[in-house]
Amino acid sequence: LKELVKSGDLGVDLATAFDASLNPYMLVTPELRYAGVNEAYLTALGTTREAVIGKPVFDVFDAGPGDQGRESVRLVKASMERVFETGEPDHIALVRFSVPVRDANGETTHQDRYWSASHTPLKNAAGQVLYVLQHTTDVTELELLCQRAASAHEPASALEAIVGGGMMERTRLVQENNRKLEVERTRLIDMFMQAPGFVAVLTGPNHVFELVNPAYAQLIGHRDVSGKPIRDALPELEGQGFYEFLDDVYATGEPFEGKESLVQLQHTPGGPLTSVYLNFIYQPIRDVDGQIAGIFVQGHEVTANVRAAQRQKLMIDELNHRVKNTLATVQSIAMQTARSHEDPRTFAESFQSRLMALSHTHDLLTRSHWEGADLTDILRHETEAHDPLRLVVNGPPVALGPAAALSLGMIFHELATNAAKYGALSNPDGRVFVDWSVANQADRRLAIEWRELDGPPVAPPTRRGFGSRLIERNVRHDLGGEAELTYAAEGLRAAITLPLDRGHDQ
Amino acid sequence: MTQALEGRTILVVEDESLVAMLLETILEDMGCATLGPVSTIDEALAVIADGSAFDGALLDVNVAGKEVFPVAAALKERGVPFVFSTGYGEGGLPEEWRGHPTIQKPFTEDAVQQALMRVLGVSD
Repeated sequence: LKELVKSGDLGVDLATAFDASLNPYMLVTPELRYAGVNEAYLTALGTTREAVIGKPVFDVFDAGPGDQGRESVRLVKASMERVFETGEPDHIALVRFSVPVRDANGETTHQDRYWSASHTPLKNAAGQVLYVLQHTTDVTELELLCQRAASAHEPASALEAIVGGGMMERTRLVQENNRKLEVERTRLIDMFMQAPGFVAVLTGPNHVFELVNPAYAQLIGHRDVSGKPIRDALPELEGQGFYEFLDDVYATGEPFEGKESLVQLQHTPGGPLTSVYLNFIYQPIRDVDGQIAGIFVQGHEVTANVRAAQRQKLMIDELNHRVKNTLATVQSIAMQTARSHEDPRTFAESFQSRLMALSHTHDLLTRSHWEGADLTDILRHETEAHDPLRLVVNGPPVALGPAAALSLGMIFHELATNAAKYGALSNPDGRVFVDWSVANQADRRLAIEWRELDGPPVAPPTRRGFGSRLIERNVRHDLGGEAELTYAAEGLRAAITLPLDRGHDQ
Repeated sequence: MTQALEGRTILVVEDESLVAMLLETILEDMGCATLGPVSTIDEALAVIADGSAFDGALLDVNVAGKEVFPVAAALKERGVPFVFSTGYGEGGLPEEWRGHPTIQKPFTEDAVQQALMRVLGVSD
């Protein structure tokens, strides 16, 4: 031991106390060899310092014959190894170890002794375990007393014989249970650590972080929260209700469950607040007396699900709105068409062709994911039933928003239908010229001219039909533009101008 | 269809011309005159501000991408009764206007008439 003191690994005071103690002590190296023993230890074993120092502990120290001896060795050895591995003290409540005893004739026999042992790590400044200190107490008299007390009355039954066995057996069971519990505890902690959801264990009324798993650490931006009360560790939660929920759980013992709870959290220390949605539960942890000792926090982030559900609801609402508006439009077309057709057959034909016109423009818009459509495409779509040599279109590319595309689709449909029924496309020679241009680049205006030539002579209508009303109203009302229909003798002319950059075209 | 509302003037706020034309036709059949139709919030507020005389209003909730509620508030202040029309269903109205008479698109002539009679306090 003096060598150990010289090496500076042990304090002088401790070394002196060690030698003087009436309790048996010994020091063991990581290889489980004797590094030091005190006088009391040598006396108890009836051996000398020279005989043990540097020797493997379990060569010198004979636990006695048979399975019982081997099991006792295993128990002590495992306890020492645990201390070297974990750096934490370990205790064996009761172990039977035979010791050699020399009788009056100088013969050596083994005598059963019962021991209680503590193994304590001795560490260097770096925290490395250099030696394990074994402190043993001989409890043989106590154990024998217990055994005598137990055998003083005859067991009333076989069952009592089993459950009423010696203290040794009960202690062995308790130790075995402790070992199982230790394994179980390690397994549970491993499960928490590997869980895909977040887990935290909070202790005491101030909710001090005792354990967080990697998922929890990621949620809070890997801040070091260990050992801190939640109000200090996660100050941004102030005013969001979570401290109070924890206080309630701690006070009442009632668990609290949060569903799709919105939390403003810092993903980096001092960083901006980020909104996350969490499903979680706060469950009280009770100690052996049933008192609340802490709170178990467990849950998972559901931000993506919540956002998807919100988007879906928005889309369904918007879809419903559009469908209802389209139905109202169709209803209007039906009602207005009915007013100018007394014959159900011509009504059906006219109504259908208007529906098809609307549907064609929808198709065009669907192709662009409802971002808009080009003017030439709309014209071609609505007039595809007519010979392109007789319906001549000419103008630059013009991108139109969905509302303008739908309006102009209907308008071109009305003009083309009218031309085919009464105008330039109703005889073999007539032609239609559609020209357009964009003027005024700063505040762009689209000017479209529809000119019919070489058709039958044109006379102004006696009453304004749905078609011409629709054109005028649509341009003025929906597009904020102007439409002028001129019934010139050589053919119908329609002049339409509209602004292209209206803010709310949607 | 009764003529209980004959002679009344109704302001129509609706951004889709075909729907506006439908409302005009329905109002005409009920013997009502149409003021407008107007297709923007600004136009509607201008009509209210210039003191035009009218007895009631039909307000599309979503007018060219904007909510019509400023117009509703202006009408309420002037004490002019009005009906909302919407494609968003019952849930489309904010707390402030929940429960206000509303017609759902597409609407029947009867629904338009009943709603207008209710806000104008007219019975058959």
